Amino acid sequence: MSSRFRSDVASIVVVALTLAALLGGCERERREYHSSPTATAQPHPRLSTLQPGDMLSAPMDPVGLHFENNAYHITQGGRLYRWFNCNGCHANGGGSIGPALMDAQWRYGGRIDQIHASILEGRPNGMPSWRGKMTDQQAWQLSAYIRALSGNVRKDAAPSRREGMRATPPPTRIPSQPPRSGDDSAQTVPAP
Amino acid sequence: MGFRSASVFGFRLALGLLLAVVATSAWCGPPAVAKAADGNWTMPARDYASTRFSPLDQVNGSNVAKLKVEFTFSTGVNRGQEAAPIVVGSTMYIVTPFPNVLYALDLSKPGAPQKWKYEPHPEPAAQGVACCDVVNRGAVYWQGKVIINTLDGNTIAVDADTGKEVWKTKLGDINKGESVTMAPLVVKGKVLVGNSGGEFGVRGWIAALDADSGKLVWKAFNTGPDKDVLIGPDFKPFYASDKGTDLGVKSWPPDAWKIGGSTVWGWISYDPELDLIYYGTGNPGPWNPAQRPGANKWTSGLFARDPDTGQARWFYQFSPHDLHDYDAVNESLLLDMPVNGVRRKVLVRPERNGFFYVMDRATGQVLSADPYGYENAILRVDLKSGNAIYNPAMQPQAGRVTRHICPASPGAKDWNPSAFSPRTGLVYIPHINLCQDSEPSEVNYIAGTPYVGADVRMYAGPGGNRGVFTAWNPVTRKPAWEIKEDLPLWSGALATAGDLVFYGTMDGWFKAVDARTGALKWQFKTDSGIIGQPVSYRGPDGRQYIAVLSGVGGWAGAIVVGNLDPRDQTAGGGWVNAVPDLKDKTGPGGTLYVFALPK
Amino acid sequence: MSQRGLHWGIATGSIALLAACNQVQSALAPVADESRAIERVWDLMLWICGPMYVLVLLALGYALWRNRGTGHGRASDRTLWFGLLGFTVLTAGLLTVLTAQSYVQDRRLHAPVVDPVNVRITAKQWWWQVEYLDADPSKQFTTANELHLPVDRPARIELRTSDVIHSLWIPVLNGKEDLIPGHANMITMTPRKVGRYRGQCAEFCGLQHANMALDVRVDDPRAFAAWQSHQRMPGNTPTTRATMAGRNDFTATACAMCHAIGGTDAGGVVGPNLTHLASRSALAAGAMPLNRGTLETWIADPQRHKPGTNMPAVPLQPQQLSDITDYLMSLN
Repeated sequence: MSSRFRSDVASIVVVALTLAALLGGCERERREYHSSPTATAQPHPRLSTLQPGDMLSAPMDPVGLHFENNAYHITQGGRLYRWFNCNGCHANGGGSIGPALMDAQWRYGGRIDQIHASILEGRPNGMPSWRGKMTDQQAWQLSAYIRALSGNVRKDAAPSRREGMRATPPPTRIPSQPPRSGDDSAQTVPAP
Repeated sequence: MGFRSASVFGFRLALGLLLAVVATSAWCGPPAVAKAADGNWTMPARDYASTRFSPLDQVNGSNVAKLKVEFTFSTGVNRGQEAAPIVVGSTMYIVTPFPNVLYALDLSKPGAPQKWKYEPHPEPAAQGVACCDVVNRGAVYWQGKVIINTLDGNTIAVDADTGKEVWKTKLGDINKGESVTMAPLVVKGKVLVGNSGGEFGVRGWIAALDADSGKLVWKAFNTGPDKDVLIGPDFKPFYASDKGTDLGVKSWPPDAWKIGGSTVWGWISYDPELDLIYYGTGNPGPWNPAQRPGANKWTSGLFARDPDTGQARWFYQFSPHDLHDYDAVNESLLLDMPVNGVRRKVLVRPERNGFFYVMDRATGQVLSADPYGYENAILRVDLKSGNAIYNPAMQPQAGRVTRHICPASPGAKDWNPSAFSPRTGLVYIPHINLCQDSEPSEVNYIAGTPYVGADVRMYAGPGGNRGVFTAWNPVTRKPAWEIKEDLPLWSGALATAGDLVFYGTMDGWFKAVDARTGALKWQFKTDSGIIGQPVSYRGPDGRQYIAVLSGVGGWAGAIVVGNLDPRDQTAGGGWVNAVPDLKDKTGPGGTLYVFALPK
Repeated sequence: MSQRGLHWGIATGSIALLAACNQVQSALAPVADESRAIERVWDLMLWICGPMYVLVLLALGYALWRNRGTGHGRASDRTLWFGLLGFTVLTAGLLTVLTAQSYVQDRRLHAPVVDPVNVRITAKQWWWQVEYLDADPSKQFTTANELHLPVDRPARIELRTSDVIHSLWIPVLNGKEDLIPGHANMITMTPRKVGRYRGQCAEFCGLQHANMALDVRVDDPRAFAAWQSHQRMPGNTPTTRATMAGRNDFTATACAMCHAIGGTDAGGVVGPNLTHLASRSALAAGAMPLNRGTLETWIADPQRHKPGTNMPAVPLQPQQLSDITDYLMSLN
């Protein structure tokens, strides 16, 4: 091959690779700033695996899946986690007044739609009910962040280490801990 | 030696012995108070002077090794058991953490079976505004009634014989973040109750209810204008920084005093001669000091008030513009003791901020303040102005981590009360040795949610031991002896006339040590960590019993009761990092243990 | 001169003149001691560097013209030597003058001030929290997106931020100063002329960096004192049905989670303080002027006007929206 031909091929390859890299960075994910201002009714997720009779299957709300794979929504959830004082009861995921959110134990379910329901409805033993105090989108963003705390989001969507005191491993380094049953922390919940 | 010199010697010896006896009995200790009958324990502090001293001496250093479990009782609630069992005649009363069940046990029957049970059914959502486990620090007995506080802010009087409710008064609102965990105190027919919630941006108060009807007699706030704080012409604080009008407003940014904390979740003492009640106020809110410039009156300080009207007599602020959550709710022991050779009526406090204060309880003057643990947050207390001089290197700032602040937020000692023995003249202090890193940040105020604004992680202080039991001599202002403990001490102390001191550890050991030397005389491993207040009483059969509740929890034991995750060093308000091994050493529990010598 | 030259002259002259027409946000129209110091340096630089530039171009032009046709220069060693020496001396001298001026004016910028107005500005994405500090903490107050200063009195402004790096730039008063997380910067401004000016964020801080303006008013001392004491008052008590309902809606719904209004239960600090919202002239850090109409559309959907801003579109019934707007417009 002549050197002229080789340099032409080389420059074409370089240009093509650069274009591919640039285009790959476009629209990595959608950011929705604008959410519908009208109140939308949400289906209530089941909180129990016990169903009388044969099992009825219901697909999970796809909205939740979208939020938990979106890096923008997860980091917004991280901002809201402090704004709404979630860290006051749940610390940076380890728990305090409220239970830990970074482990695999969930009293009221650990799927994103169940977390979303817990936030908006509140729970009897001390979780406040935030319905009407935050928008639905904010509740989904918070739920996505809480899923990230237990490593249950894609690693390229999870936020990296926080500024400030490095008290926990960043969500990108937390191993994935899918919610599991046999929650022994529920034993310490006393009967009213 | 001749007869003459022998008699001189003998005379001098006799004189010396006489003086020694007089000197020892100069330790009258608490002033003349209305003493409960010797064998009873009618209020958690045992007496108004808060000595927690039992005059029973059947159990002493020579026989305590034979102490054994007489009976146990399961409360059915596996949360932090901080209460003191109350004993009147042949009945024992214990109140549990949420749901605040009140049990009466019949001590006259073998095994002390349950006589009755009163269930107040407090609001379950109250558990969401309890910063430091859903504890309750005890009931109080008064003229045929047993009076308790419930977590959701009710004060309830129950008939001591039948368990029927006599009256119920609601004082706190959980939607503002208020709860009640303290043990009430009854003074001159008035039930004194204070709120909790300094971490939730509440406005702290103390209230007096009529013990017969439950009606509100007076209520004094601890922040805000003088008319709310009941500061009037009788108010004569000792130091200049506490003099002025409406300091509870002027020492805060506008409106910040309304959410400024200053709660009353700890101990109250009473002097019948001076007719004054003494209680401390909690930390200012939020923990982030940048959001509340000013001295933040009347937080982290001590009030003396008239029990009939609530009017304030004096105030002293241990930690002005508090930087580290140094609540001032610890117990005040009222003693008569020599200070620089002169006998005075004093009030001594092993204070949260790390200093052991001796104060004149008539005027509020600080006579001495000496560190009883490792201290670098406050350099010293200036006795002339009364001010605590803060270490400028240990002042937390937003956006930065300030490291190795000692003592940590629970202080050199938190709520768990010390005891005093007039026989030894020592104050027995169960306390902790922790330091912390702190990073404050701006916090949003939303009523009913935490209002803290600080990430904190704690760890062992110098020496590596997280707990320490100190016998402090308030006259010489030095420790007499010290016991280092691996785990922090979160239980109360009990001193007895048998020259024994009892306390419990967070992994469940209940210990008796010699009051003079600190030598371990006896210990027993209960089924869960001990954070309660041990008491001693004379049973119907005339024997001496020692009772303690076992069940770890509280702020210190949050990792166990909440099953918190140790990977987050700020979990549990920083406690998880201090005791990450606690889950391996104890599980939750909720059992009463009563010990006695074999018959 | 030719037609073309005349046109060029008019164009450059007009640009220079028009720059000075902007009296609100221009470094070329200083009204404070500090910005005047900066302008003095600028002026000197302009009048030294400008003519020097022309001189160098002329010299270059002369050299090219002189040596056209021949292939190489023919200047005698002596002329060349003197010319270079002279030029070097001239350059060194002028640089020394510039350095001296820069030093002197820089000292002026950081001179200690007596009896300043103490302000703390905390930049947040994408608005300015402005707190007026006082030795007596009960006299402090907080406002947003506006800075009032008395004329002829220095203002000492502490600069903080809680999220990312911003930069405060009020060109008529002083230069740019960054606001850096975890760090406190200081800037001083001593305004000398009453008027209304504009500042903005000068360090890219996110999506709405361009819509982060600061409304600056310099008042005479009496007007400033009156404004200050008014700002210390709590928010107006509502008296009509609409404003009373509006306040209840405000504190019971999502509004109070983020905003504070003095004298009510709303204590949120993460959003701008609204105690005297209606006394301001702009909304959302200058994104739009403030009047009942713009306020209502803003509350209905902030994301339409300032996409990415941290205020969400709260679902409200039309009556609630109207009542809340009425209530907020009553808070002057």
